[in-house]
Amino acid sequence: MTGALSGRFEGMLSSRGLRLVAQYAAVVLAALVVNFALPRLAPGDPIDYLVPPEQGSVDEAMRQSMLERFDLDGSASQQFTSYLANLAQGDLGISVRDGRPVSEVVAQRLWWSVLLVGTAVAVSTILGVALGFTAGWRRGSRRDVSLLAAVLALDALPAFFVGLLLLLVFSVHLEWLPVYGAVSPEALTGWAWIVDTAKRLVMPAVTLTFVGLGSVFVVARSAMVSELSEDYVFMARAKGLSDRRVRRHAARNAMVPVSTVALLGFSTLVGAATVVESVFSYPGLGSLAFDAVRARDYPVLQAVFLLLSLIAIAANLSADLLYPILDPRVRRAGSR
Amino acid sequence: MLRHRITILALILSMFSVALAPLAAAHQDDGDPVVVRVGLHAAEKNLNPFIVPQALPITHDFTMLVYDTLFWSQSRLDPEPWLATGADPSDDFRTWTVTLRDGVLWHDGERFDASDVAFTFRYFAEDGGPGRYGHHVYDHPVFESATVVDDLTVELVFEDPVPTFKLLPGGDLPILPEHIWASVENPRADATSLPVGTGPFTMVEYNPGVSYRLEANPDYFLGRPTVDTLIMPVVTDAQAAFAGLQTGELDFVTRNLPAPLVPRVEENPELAVVTGSRMQSLYLMFNTRKPHLRDPAVRKAMSLSLDVQAIVDIVEGGLGRPGNDTWTHPDSPWAHQHGGHVFDPGVAATMLNDAGYLFGDGDVRRNADGDPLAFTLLVNAAAPPQIRAGELVAEQLSVMGIDITVEPLDPPAITAARRPSPDGPPTVDMFIAVFESHAHADPDHLFFFFHTPGRGVGGIFSGYANPEFDAVLDSALGAPIDEKLSLIAQAQEIFAEAAPAVVLYYPDGRWGYRPGAYDGWISDPGHGVFTKRSFLEPDAAGSTVPEAVEDAAAEQAPEADDPEPDTAEAPAEQPEAEPASSEASEEASDEADGESAAEPSATDDSEPAASTPDQAASAGAPEAADEGGSSTGALIAIAAGVFVALVIAPAAARRRRRAGTVED
Repeated sequence: MTGALSGRFEGMLSSRGLRLVAQYAAVVLAALVVNFALPRLAPGDPIDYLVPPEQGSVDEAMRQSMLERFDLDGSASQQFTSYLANLAQGDLGISVRDGRPVSEVVAQRLWWSVLLVGTAVAVSTILGVALGFTAGWRRGSRRDVSLLAAVLALDALPAFFVGLLLLLVFSVHLEWLPVYGAVSPEALTGWAWIVDTAKRLVMPAVTLTFVGLGSVFVVARSAMVSELSEDYVFMARAKGLSDRRVRRHAARNAMVPVSTVALLGFSTLVGAATVVESVFSYPGLGSLAFDAVRARDYPVLQAVFLLLSLIAIAANLSADLLYPILDPRVRRAGSR
Repeated sequence: MLRHRITILALILSMFSVALAPLAAAHQDDGDPVVVRVGLHAAEKNLNPFIVPQALPITHDFTMLVYDTLFWSQSRLDPEPWLATGADPSDDFRTWTVTLRDGVLWHDGERFDASDVAFTFRYFAEDGGPGRYGHHVYDHPVFESATVVDDLTVELVFEDPVPTFKLLPGGDLPILPEHIWASVENPRADATSLPVGTGPFTMVEYNPGVSYRLEANPDYFLGRPTVDTLIMPVVTDAQAAFAGLQTGELDFVTRNLPAPLVPRVEENPELAVVTGSRMQSLYLMFNTRKPHLRDPAVRKAMSLSLDVQAIVDIVEGGLGRPGNDTWTHPDSPWAHQHGGHVFDPGVAATMLNDAGYLFGDGDVRRNADGDPLAFTLLVNAAAPPQIRAGELVAEQLSVMGIDITVEPLDPPAITAARRPSPDGPPTVDMFIAVFESHAHADPDHLFFFFHTPGRGVGGIFSGYANPEFDAVLDSALGAPIDEKLSLIAQAQEIFAEAAPAVVLYYPDGRWGYRPGAYDGWISDPGHGVFTKRSFLEPDAAGSTVPEAVEDAAAEQAPEADDPEPDTAEAPAEQPEAEPASSEASEEASDEADGESAAEPSATDDSEPAASTPDQAASAGAPEAADEGGSSTGALIAIAAGVFVALVIAPAAARRRRRAGTVED
């Protein structure tokens, strides 16, 4: 059984694998170009940040020598080639704001983002699937309608608003949770550090969870609803299977579209994290990108955008790869 | 029976916590370090004075916690000696002989001397490049040479006469340690290493974009600072920052308290508002290189059409002063004696008619060629007051037949529109921005910003060109202070008539803080309260305490009678303070229909207890682990008491009642 399955899987890889790799390589390349171009299309440049007009004038020679340090002198095409060449060597350049290597700047923020977004994706997926399946199981019931209304209402609220509301309730009124940051500015160690850090994670993660919850819920619900109208469910019911068994069968099939949405949600949430991170002063990639935009810090923006694109592409790829595993029909179509 | 037993248990628990709480508070008394948590509203890099980004509002005062200037401060006509003990000019005001304080140490233990001062001036002028501090050494006045006369005397020579040397650059330029910077090739490169200065605080930790930690410099030449540790997280979101102030996570927020929040902070017994002048202005700048705006009559007519009093009333709730046509902040020593703004739409209409801008068949005035008076006004999208002010300007000018489109943009986009390109003038029509004290206190600020392009930053800042105005400013540059004052006043009169810019209002400086944590905030005009003076003993600078430094602490409500910063007693003074949780518990206990007298009294008892350790924690030291332990113990005890009183007791009561009904 397993042998046959893996054989079929390999067959699929050989026929589709190359095409897949080529496709993704093209996407990565396109992402590189866009990531390079986007920051430069916005009005203003790093010099506006480095020497504001109130502080002095900058002539062309001075300008070039200042930009040279960041590899931002020369024409756009020159900059792009040197960007690609440096990138190939793992060199992300130097931050205009910080004067530090971008890799260092990003590394400092990356893990907070992973923690925050990872938590939010996990919680919103689990919660969204559980609620969505529950709602879809008895479509039109009072439970379904109220869940649908509640989740959609929550989904319609902008993240910064939810964040501020949580802040008001849980920090200002109840005084349960700290207001800002990922770690206490005071030197905590050991258990106290873990507790404090976990507390500081709660509100941003909950806010971000709400951002992701809606789409997972809606897809899970409609997937459940459409599975329940399938013949096999009718058959199962006719055979007299218990509700629990029927639900398990339907749920397994309904997971296919849900997995895609959950994985794509990863990239959505990384983007939404920008807002959430600035509300809670959370030092993740989102707030880094926000600050970098305001300084027109091209090297940092390129790096953050690249990372976000890679995350989105990886999520897509995993969805692509996961699909045939979850759904035998796709597997068969692939090996045909 | 069971219910009573539980209530008694709750009572005992809360009494236990009452007993514990003073214990936790008592820990504060034994000379514990004073820790103040300051919420910064923007990241300030590592205070490298060669890269001061976007002239962030508090950068100078933050920088001056770590560094010192020769004199303090530039906002007064006669600044007091700081690192210097005095400075004497030559007859032509080109050479200044500066004598320095003896026995000053750098944070790393090296001795400060005249060669550091000579080095600083040379380094800023020759290697620094353009920047916030440098342009006062190479732009005007132009630095020529520095000679070390002896260990504590340095002779500084400038190319032009600088009668105001003590103010600028003397009161502005941070003095740098030669032994550190001499080997730095590119002073702009480093934005992360910890600065070494002579200032009252040593920066011991900098987490880029996240937080700072400063410790008192015990050897500070004006005495040990009154605060031992400054913990400064960057809290960029305004709501979060003020929430942090309310919860006690922050003791001071550098962001100006928004007008709508003032009553809320004043109502809170744990918070207070301190006011002070930062000499800020919110102004409307015209690009005088653009058609129509080139015409002084058009600009003056717009100025006459603006009801600036209405703007400050609406935007700031009246917490500010209306703008003066003479530009300079009224608190600045350089302000015109008779500032004021003329609001006269009638005259404005006549001026526009005379200039040939007439109403045709539409609502917008046009000149003879049919060109409409239509402009785009750029405002900072991240600054609500600027957006509101911009909309009011548009509204007030539309009545006059001038069409203004307000466009909120992010700051770099505005900067880009303001900067002249190699091929021509900037594209912006007009913009609203905020100026900080330095720009108003500078004796040559009109020269810098409004002199005909060529020298100074005027070229890229306003582009305003007026030979008559230039002549007055040129002669003011080298004039002795008395003469300079009258020349600057003369220039301001020309300015008021020509209106290259209009100050809409001068915002009041006001900040929220927790007196329980630190109550020594002092307003130093031009600096606000987040400035080094707030952390020094009032008479630290010797006998020369200027009258202008007011004790801002006198303005607060509950602690007004206690000007001494006293962290230990503050929490004990306000036992009435009700934290939100105890209010909630009271309501909850009402709901639980506790008819026996024991229950409400249990919650009443826990009330002061709950407030005291809470405040103690916010007032005290974070590092003392034992104290943390005991106050945590008290909190746990309270929590347990409240839990028993609120959850178990009513539940038990309900069970009993239900059981009772069955029995019945």
